[in-house]
Amino acid sequence: MSAVAERWDDDQLLAALRQAVRAREAVPPEFVEAGRSAFAWHNIDAELAQLTYDSSRDREYELSVRAEAASIRALTYTSAHLTVELEVTQDALVGQVVPAQAGTITVQPWQGPSEQEAVAVDEIGCFSIHPLPSGRFRLQCRTVAGLETLTGWIEL
Amino acid sequence: MRDNSSVVALVARVGEGDQTAWNELIDRYSPLVWSICLRFELSRQDIDDVGQSVWLRLVENIGSIREAAALPGWLATTTRRECLRVVRSARRSDHAGLPPEDQMPTDPGDTLIEQELIVAERNAALRAAFAELPDRCHELLSMLIDDPPPPYAQISAKLGIAVGSIGPTRARCLDRLRQSPHLAGVLGNDANDVEVSDAGR
Repeated sequence: MSAVAERWDDDQLLAALRQAVRAREAVPPEFVEAGRSAFAWHNIDAELAQLTYDSSRDREYELSVRAEAASIRALTYTSAHLTVELEVTQDALVGQVVPAQAGTITVQPWQGPSEQEAVAVDEIGCFSIHPLPSGRFRLQCRTVAGLETLTGWIEL
Repeated sequence: MRDNSSVVALVARVGEGDQTAWNELIDRYSPLVWSICLRFELSRQDIDDVGQSVWLRLVENIGSIREAAALPGWLATTTRRECLRVVRSARRSDHAGLPPEDQMPTDPGDTLIEQELIVAERNAALRAAFAELPDRCHELLSMLIDDPPPPYAQISAKLGIAVGSIGPTRARCLDRLRQSPHLAGVLGNDANDVEVSDAGR
């Protein structure tokens, strides 16, 4: 490609410039803005927990639950040292940290980290977040033992 | 490549917590991420999902990216991986309501992703070079890349230059563009050509 590009005449160069400018204009401003916002996370020093289970993505589980009661969405996030299990109830997000240990959970909205909504995790690792977080968020878990874990993005 | 060395500088500034440098990185590479998502024929919502994951991975890993010059390749690979994740989870989650398997978006493959990467890098270099042109050149070329470009009479009136000098000015501006250090690697000049590489410093 370079060898050809080297011999670009004025018309070809102008066409290439047109293409380059159009390619940037084709990207929606909100997409770029979301990318810029991601910088708010640059100081977060926590281990990332990956989504390892989501009942809404597992049809068989969904059917078996529905047979018993109203379907409850369950999610599991796993990092090297900590697992966060979540259940979405009518009005709360309840969960447990495994292995069981006390600490705090913070709801972090997509717009950037915030320290406003710290929720206590009891000594058997259980916590409950009222009301259900809206929009896109992630959970940051700090245990008394000093473990820090950040889940992937969740949208309920 | 000079162009990549400016990426190295941006990455270093981002590592020091410089939001402006981060914004520049995003402006520069969002078309790459976007175009790869289009190759996977993702929905807008899925593209946003992929974008978020890619930028977060970038912000989380930027301190540990040793070869900053390899960043565009890293972004292409990460975007592709995230697209595959989204496509697979869509397949798992919904067996009704989705097009038949053979109509589902599939991995466009190494070659197409590589092509997107090459085109995106060339485009980014062209835009960087374009942004550094003197105002007069920038204005003229901006009008000339309109589709269709306005008649010379209109350009003449808008920019206050004689119709007869538009042609020569166009040539001179394109030559300046061609000489930009940003395009050193892209236009096939020798990356070690110091004379060209240092011209813009």
